[in-house]
Amino acid sequence: MSFLNTLIPTIRQSSNACAVADQSSTPVRRPAYQVKETEDAYQLTVQLPGVARDSLEVTSDNTEVRISGRCAWAQPEGWTAIHRESAEAAYELVLTHDNALNNDAIAAELRDGVLQVTLPKAEAIKPRKITVS
Amino acid sequence: MRIIRYNQPYTRGYAPFFRGYNRSAWSGLENEIDRLFASTLGDFTGTESRQFPVDLYEDKDNAYVRAELPGISREAIQVELVDGSLAISATRKTKDGDNEQSFELKRSVTVPDNVQVDQIGAAYENGVLTVTLPKQEATKPKKITVAVK
Repeated sequence: MSFLNTLIPTIRQSSNACAVADQSSTPVRRPAYQVKETEDAYQLTVQLPGVARDSLEVTSDNTEVRISGRCAWAQPEGWTAIHRESAEAAYELVLTHDNALNNDAIAAELRDGVLQVTLPKAEAIKPRKITVS
Repeated sequence: MRIIRYNQPYTRGYAPFFRGYNRSAWSGLENEIDRLFASTLGDFTGTESRQFPVDLYEDKDNAYVRAELPGISREAIQVELVDGSLAISATRKTKDGDNEQSFELKRSVTVPDNVQVDQIGAAYENGVLTVTLPKQEATKPKKITVAVK
């Protein structure tokens, strides 16, 4: 199994060390997310309730895709909280990969608190037919 | 998707009871009781309806209910006030190629008595539903002057 892991780059979730080493003082939590793989791309769906476009940041480089968002709503003055179940923490999601993505063609759409990111696979990792002479 | 209770197979009569081989004579009954507890206590979250976080706030004019419901279309959200409790229900449909799954999310919140029922408003923004419940104006104590004859 480890042979397959090195030959085929995969998108996998980073270890918790990334979250601990975060410089920001606000606590972060990992949002609910789902990755679906198609032939040409990875489809990433992240649930980010309360996050608006201007408080969302999506970055991608050769080794990781990082999504961080803050809740855009602040409790107005004069409101007293009777019962709180949601957390104040910002969302952060880091997915590591090994040069598996074509960074120029990444598309992301945020609608109604759900972020859909299309991560096209890099040409190098797409399966190709090898003709035997 | 149908959920079927998984019946763990347990062997009966194959293991000799008196040798204490792997199983006691009571283990069949113990397994049944464990499964009974697991199904009774573990089904509160339920596979049919999921829980979502709900916050309650108030200020002097209104009470507010904020529910985190990402990814739901506006017509799939239903907010109903029934018998003094506000029921928020939403259906999330996910299409996965040919499969279509729908999850139902449902929660009820009790509302206090002093709510102006016909002026309740709701807004859905960024995946968060905010329901505004205006309070009735407090009945001011009426001053009655009594003329003393």
